[in-house]
Amino acid sequence: MKLFLPLRFVIRASLALFASVLPGAAAELNLFGWSEYVPQTVIDGFTRESGIKVNFETYSSNEELISKLVAGVGRYDLVQPSDYAAELMIRQKLLAPLDRSKLGNLKNLSPDFVGRPPDPEGKFTVPYMSGTVGIVVNTDKVKVPVTSYRDVFQARFKNRIVVLNDNREIVTWALLSLGLPMNSITAENLKRARPVIAEWVKLVKVFDSDSPKTALLNGDVDLGVVWSGEAAILWNQNKKFQYVIPAEGTHQFIDMLAIPATAKNKNGAHQFMNYILRPEVSKLISAAFPYTNPNAAARQLLSAGELANPASYPKGGQFETFRDIGKMASDIDRLVTDLKSSK
Amino acid sequence: MTTATAPTAGDRRTPGWREWLLLAPMLAWLVTFVVVPSAILFVYSFCERDELGRVVFDFTGENYRRVFDPIYLRIFARSIGYAALTTGICIVAGFPVAYFIGRAKAAWRDRLLLLVMVPFWTSFLIRTYAWITILKQEGLLNALLRSLPLGIGPWDLLYTPTAVLIGLVYAYLPFMILPIYGSVEKLDGSLIEAAHDLGAGPLRVFSSVILPLTLPGIAAGTLLVFVPAIAMFAITDLMGGARVPLIGNVIQNQFLQARDWPFGAALGVVFMALFAVTYWALLRLGRRDEVLA
Amino acid sequence: MSSPAAPHFRLPSGLRLLDFCLGGWTVLVLVFFYLPIAVLVAYSFNASRLNVVWEGFTLVWYRDVWANAPLLQAARNSFVIACVTTVFSVVLGTLGAWLLHRYRFRAARGIETLAAIPMVMPEILMGISLLVFFATIGLPLGFSSVIIGHVTFSFPFVLVAVQARLLGLDPALEEAALDLGATPWQAFWLVIVPCLRPAIVAGALMAFTLSWDELIVTFFTASASSATLPIRVFGMAKVGLNPMLNALSTIFVIATAAFVVFSAYVRRLNR
Repeated sequence: MKLFLPLRFVIRASLALFASVLPGAAAELNLFGWSEYVPQTVIDGFTRESGIKVNFETYSSNEELISKLVAGVGRYDLVQPSDYAAELMIRQKLLAPLDRSKLGNLKNLSPDFVGRPPDPEGKFTVPYMSGTVGIVVNTDKVKVPVTSYRDVFQARFKNRIVVLNDNREIVTWALLSLGLPMNSITAENLKRARPVIAEWVKLVKVFDSDSPKTALLNGDVDLGVVWSGEAAILWNQNKKFQYVIPAEGTHQFIDMLAIPATAKNKNGAHQFMNYILRPEVSKLISAAFPYTNPNAAARQLLSAGELANPASYPKGGQFETFRDIGKMASDIDRLVTDLKSSK
Repeated sequence: MTTATAPTAGDRRTPGWREWLLLAPMLAWLVTFVVVPSAILFVYSFCERDELGRVVFDFTGENYRRVFDPIYLRIFARSIGYAALTTGICIVAGFPVAYFIGRAKAAWRDRLLLLVMVPFWTSFLIRTYAWITILKQEGLLNALLRSLPLGIGPWDLLYTPTAVLIGLVYAYLPFMILPIYGSVEKLDGSLIEAAHDLGAGPLRVFSSVILPLTLPGIAAGTLLVFVPAIAMFAITDLMGGARVPLIGNVIQNQFLQARDWPFGAALGVVFMALFAVTYWALLRLGRRDEVLA
Repeated sequence: MSSPAAPHFRLPSGLRLLDFCLGGWTVLVLVFFYLPIAVLVAYSFNASRLNVVWEGFTLVWYRDVWANAPLLQAARNSFVIACVTTVFSVVLGTLGAWLLHRYRFRAARGIETLAAIPMVMPEILMGISLLVFFATIGLPLGFSSVIIGHVTFSFPFVLVAVQARLLGLDPALEEAALDLGATPWQAFWLVIVPCLRPAIVAGALMAFTLSWDELIVTFFTASASSATLPIRVFGMAKVGLNPMLNALSTIFVIATAAFVVFSAYVRRLNR
């Protein structure tokens, strides 16, 4: 019967497929990282050199990483947590200590990124890329100076603003604008931030953590508070997009490489880390993602244009990073959800 | 044996062991992969959480108390509103299409059905991004409006509730068209002809013959559109600028940013209860008219 | 062989206008469906990487898609998963619908409700609950876990489609077959299944489409080697619209159109 022909084909195809999926003899590295954060050229280069096949699985938030890691069914050799997620994972003993003897290229790191919390001794993590969160302004459309969070959230910019769709970020900016320390997320501080945020959300047109540059490029918004990497790409596209570090302060984020305690191929993971720390490899990453490169040796290889990008390498020194806030994450979510939905 | 021209609901045999054996795979599947995971979630909804967001087996009713907080009730109401509006538009827009395809010539029926389905074999995300290209301020829609000398100003549609509705209708219309098509295709033409012969005008034919007979299809379509539309979050994020959180966004958040799995599970359980209510209501609507037919 | 059910009625000439309006409306709706498709196809030839303004005609994105091994691997994975899912869904759904329809099971209503749950359960709930379940029973994530998830939310669609058709089926057919000496199993295969063919096909199409485009449940149940196309596309799209994705989608539109034309041709040959 006609029904059977496709059936036979499918069964044969699926058998072939299942066979191809069985663990191969060659060494493999399971990399679990941010979508599009590790350029394919880097992965291919590593495989060519070491012969290790890299299986790149992706997530788009730290919490996705944590939930899959703690569920325990994934087999990951290398993960890419952000600073506060790494802190959480270290505390929960989810990470394996690094063997620094295998990481000769650690010396390439800039001293700014050594000795930072949550892993001051670098026992579990290696910095991958860093950045800040700040204000980007389309100077063709916005003619007044915008230098602080309060400048952004003015009534005149109503419906022309894009911000990150990250409740903790929004709360942080509110706290900073009130002069409060950004990592002290307490019920008291949240209460003080509440009216500020209530006003702000009414003025925002788009909440987007993935690609806020799209709204700016489309001309749907004129300014916003975004990741520095996004602002850097905008600046490369057109110098009219200016990046400004807010006067009230901002935070820095450091994305790191780490090895889960349950990793099978710890050797391969170390090899990959060391490979990433090479200046010429790190340069490739910077070319694809113009964030702040923590690799001093790599920075020497960057072009003048890349180094001059005010979003990639802002003046203004070091900023604090996020610390883990544990259960307060839920309170933040509730606060911002409430304010967003009560318009 | 009776030679019935219309199918009767009777005549069902009692199952023997062979029939139970044949039913076993589906039953086993349902129990293993639907009941058990749902039960897990149900248990979770009564748990506390640790700082990772995982569950700690200290039981509490706190999560359910939070569900009935005005914040979340408001969000539920808004989500239901959007879903109801989407369903209504889908029924009104989709019924004529399903009717047309259902009574078209056999060769055309398959072709039209495929025409309806093919767009949905491209990625949902890409299609949504294409809509953004159309609806944005410097987008194609406004470019078209500007080129026409009708004086209709540029429409600021993107990132508004209207855009979200367009996205929702676009995503769910086929799920309404297909079940209604199924009902229409089974329509006995002689009944309609008889109604015409008896002197009924087209409106009467529709309300007294066509509508009741296609009600099962509409009911099925409503179930397939209404309930999932309530939980949809991707469209609000992409086309609505994530400005107004719907219940799907909130549930999503609990498992991610907010790190509160038990609360997410509780919201999910309430949502499933909502589904159960809708299902029973639609079941009565659908079944009642089958007995009459 | 079309179903032995109703002959299609012919409209009295006075209602030709209605017929015309319905046809026109259908065309409008189809235009609505294809508008974003046309846009994404057009932009797949756009030379601008950021996909905002038209900068010139190019085929470079198609070349990039072809060179992107993970993307092609993901497409292959998606295709196989969707096919296997469809087969399982059709078997489970058709068998289940038939048994529930023909035989008087006490728990029939309950089973039908259970079967309806996956159709409407929010994907993140299904994804998380399956992840936790697999973790509990120790099943490593991979193709099997993804397929299990996909079949779970797909087969109810086949069930519903087949059930709807069964309700309009004349029981005299099966009676006649049995009277002529067929076993219940033969009656099922040789008489009922051909009558159900349109519903099975419709259900299979739904199952395939759902599995092909599914993201969230797949995310929670997949591993690196079983990543599907939506997962890869989602990751790429997150960092900004990449015309490579447009090129990929265009390839699929052309491929499905070709498949449709081909199968219609095959069907015509078999007449």
